[in-house]
Amino acid sequence: MGIAWFLALSAFIFCIGAGGVITRRNPLVILLCLELMLNAGNLALLSFSRMVGNRDGQVFALIVMVVAACEVVVGLGLIVAMYRRRLPIDVDEVSELRG
Amino acid sequence: MIGAVHSQLGPFHAPHVDWKGMSPLLSVLGGSAAVLIAGLFPGRRTQRVVVPVLAIAALIAAIGLTVWIWEPGGVRPIVAGALSVDTLALGVSVLFYVAGIATILLSLRSAVVRECGAGEYASLLLGSIGGMVLLAGAQNLVTIFIGLELLSIPLYILCGSRVRQEHSLEAGLKYLIVGSVGSATLLYGLALLYGATGSTSLSVIGHAVGTRVPLDDPLVLTGVALAATGLAFKASIAPFHTWTPDVYQGAPTPVTTFMAVATKAAAFAILLRLFDEGLISDRTNWGPALAALAVASIVIGNAGAIGQRSMKRLLAWSGVAQAGYILAGVVVGTRLGIQTSAFYLAIYLPMNVAAFAVVIARMRVSERGDDMAALEGLGRSSPWLAWPMTIAMLALAGFPATAGFIGKFYLIDATVAGGYAWLGVAIVIGSMISLVYYLRVIAVMWMSPSEVEVPAPAPARASPSRRVRSVAGWSPEADVRAQPEVAFVAIACAAATVFFGIVPEPLLHLAREVGSAISSAL
Amino acid sequence: MLKSYLPALVFLALGAGTGAAFTALNSVLGPRRPSKVKSDPYECGLPSEVTSSFRFGISFYLIAMLFILFDIEVIFLYPVAVGLKQFGTFALVETIVFIVLLFVAFVFVWRRGALEWR
Repeated sequence: MGIAWFLALSAFIFCIGAGGVITRRNPLVILLCLELMLNAGNLALLSFSRMVGNRDGQVFALIVMVVAACEVVVGLGLIVAMYRRRLPIDVDEVSELRG
Repeated sequence: MIGAVHSQLGPFHAPHVDWKGMSPLLSVLGGSAAVLIAGLFPGRRTQRVVVPVLAIAALIAAIGLTVWIWEPGGVRPIVAGALSVDTLALGVSVLFYVAGIATILLSLRSAVVRECGAGEYASLLLGSIGGMVLLAGAQNLVTIFIGLELLSIPLYILCGSRVRQEHSLEAGLKYLIVGSVGSATLLYGLALLYGATGSTSLSVIGHAVGTRVPLDDPLVLTGVALAATGLAFKASIAPFHTWTPDVYQGAPTPVTTFMAVATKAAAFAILLRLFDEGLISDRTNWGPALAALAVASIVIGNAGAIGQRSMKRLLAWSGVAQAGYILAGVVVGTRLGIQTSAFYLAIYLPMNVAAFAVVIARMRVSERGDDMAALEGLGRSSPWLAWPMTIAMLALAGFPATAGFIGKFYLIDATVAGGYAWLGVAIVIGSMISLVYYLRVIAVMWMSPSEVEVPAPAPARASPSRRVRSVAGWSPEADVRAQPEVAFVAIACAAATVFFGIVPEPLLHLAREVGSAISSAL
Repeated sequence: MLKSYLPALVFLALGAGTGAAFTALNSVLGPRRPSKVKSDPYECGLPSEVTSSFRFGISFYLIAMLFILFDIEVIFLYPVAVGLKQFGTFALVETIVFIVLLFVAFVFVWRRGALEWR
C-alpha cells in the first residue's frame, strides 16, 4: 500500500477535525476535534517516518501524544472550572467577549 | 515489530550537551520548579515575598548567564541537533526575561496571584518563558513544537487563572481552542516538511530544499503554508488574529502584558528562524504570501483599533498592526530585515509594557476598569502615570524622539532595500491611520476634566479584590504611591522608550549582532 | 526450549507477587471505614443505581485529569526500554531526571490536596 493512502487518510482526518472545531458548539466535542487534528499530524509523521526510513518521525509522534494529552487536560480543567461557576458550557453562549 | 526496531538501531552516541550554553534555560526551568514547591508553604510572606523574589532572582540569573555566554557570530550547539545558542536566540531570550520580571512586578498586588496562588502563577510564567527560550534556540522541528507548546500551555492556564471571573475563564478556553488549532496546523505543516526532506533538522531542511527537493515540491509548499498559518495564529497576524482582542481583554492584565510582548517576540523569533534560516532558499514562494499577511495585519489591526473604548482591546488591535510591521522585516529576508525585526521587537517591549502598566494602575482604582474613560484627566491628577502612557502612545505611533520612530524608520529602510518598497508604503500609511486612536488616548488624558472628583477608593461594583488599600485623605497621587512597583515599571519603560529614541546606537549594535546569527540571510 | 519461557515465568511471578503484596499491605496498613456504598456488590465509589439527572462529582474529573497526565508521561519510557542496552548511561540519567521532575509535580499535586476526595 502506497504512502499516498496514508496521507490521504491523515488529511481527511485533519479536515474532519478542523471542520468540527469550526462548526461544533460543545467545548468537549471541540477538544475531541482538536485531538483529531493533532493525531492526523501523528499519522502523517508515522507514515513519513516509514517512507523516509528514519525514526525521527516516530519520536516526534510520541512527543505530540504527550502534548495533546496536556492540552486536553488543561481544556478539561477550564471546562470544569466554568461548570463550577455555572457558566454556560457552549462556546456560542460564551460570548461576554465579542467583537 | 519491536525486534525489527531493535535490529535497526545502530550504535548510539549520546548527544553532546553544552551545560554552559544551556545554563539560562536551566535557571528559568529550575526556578519554575522551585517556585512551585516554595508556593506550597503556607503563610502570607511566602506568597507575597518569597515566591516573587525567587522568580525574579531566577530571571535575573538567566539574564546574567546570557550576558556571560553572549558571543557574536558563531552558532553554538548546546544539545547537538536539537538546540543551539546564537545571538538571535540569546538576544530575544533577554526580552522574555525582562518581560517576565515586569509581569511579576505588575502582578505583585494583583488579584490573580491571590486567586490562583503565587507559586502556581510564577511557576507557569517561568515555564512559559522556558518554552520561549527553547523555541528561540530550536534547531529541529521537534524542538520547535515542544518549545511552542511549553510556551502556550502555561499561557492558556494563566489566561484562565482568575478562576472566579467569567471573563478570565472564557479567555482561557478561547485561547486554548484557537491556540491548539494553530498548534495542530503547525504540526501538520512540520510533518509535511519532514516528509518532503526526510529530516527534522532545520539545517538539513535548509540544504535540501532547492537542491535535493525541488523548490515547488507540493509537500514543501503545503508544509510551509500550514506552518506559516500555525505561527500566524500565535503571533496574532491577520487574518488569524480574531482571538486577540477577546483574549487580551479577558485575561488578567499582567498576563495580557506578558502575552503582548513576550509571546509576540517568541513567535517572531521562530518565524525568523524557520523562514529566514531554514527555508530561505524557498523565499520566492513564501515571500509574497507573508507580505500579503503583513499588509492585511497592518490594515485590519489599525482599522479595528479605531473604534475601541477598552484600552486592552485597543492595545490588542494595535498589537495586530504592529505584528504586521514586524512581519515586514521577516518578509524581506535580508540581514537588514532580521536586524530591524529584532530591533523593533526590543523596543516594542518597553512601549507596550509602559502602556499596560498604566492600564493596570488605573484598573485597580477606577470604577471604569480598562475603559478609556478611566484615563480621563489623568494628566492633571497623576502626571506620573499620564506621561508614561503618553510616551508609549507616541512611540507606538512612531513619533520622532521615541524608539518607535527609529524602529519604523529602519523597518521601512529594510523593506525598500530588500525590494519590497510597497510594504514600506503600507507601514507609513498604517502609521498614519494609527495616529487617530493613539492620539485619542492622549487627548482623553490631557484634555478632559479629571475623573477623580469623587474620592471613591471602594467602588460598589468592583470586587473586593480589585480594591487598592484605601488611603485616608485619598489624593490622586496616592495611587502612584499605593502601587509603587506599577508606577516604577511604567516610568522605567517610558524612560527606556525615550532613551532608545534619542540614543539608539547601543541597541542597534546589539541588533546587528543578532542579525549576524543567521548566516544564510542575504 | 524451556529456558526461553523463563522470562515470561519470572514476569508472571513478579506480577502475582506485586499484586499480592499490595493487597496484603492494604489490608494490614489501610484505614477501614466501611459504608453502605462501599459494601455494595459492585463497588466503584458511586451509588450503583443512577438516575438520569445524576452528575459525576467534580472529584472524578480532577482525578481523571491527573491520571491522564501522569499516565501519558510513561510514554517517554517506552523508547528507552526498546533500546536500553544501546542507549547506556545517558538514557538512564535522562530517565532519572525525568522521573525526578515528575516527582516534583507529584509532590505539588499531593500537597495542594488535589488527591483528597471531596
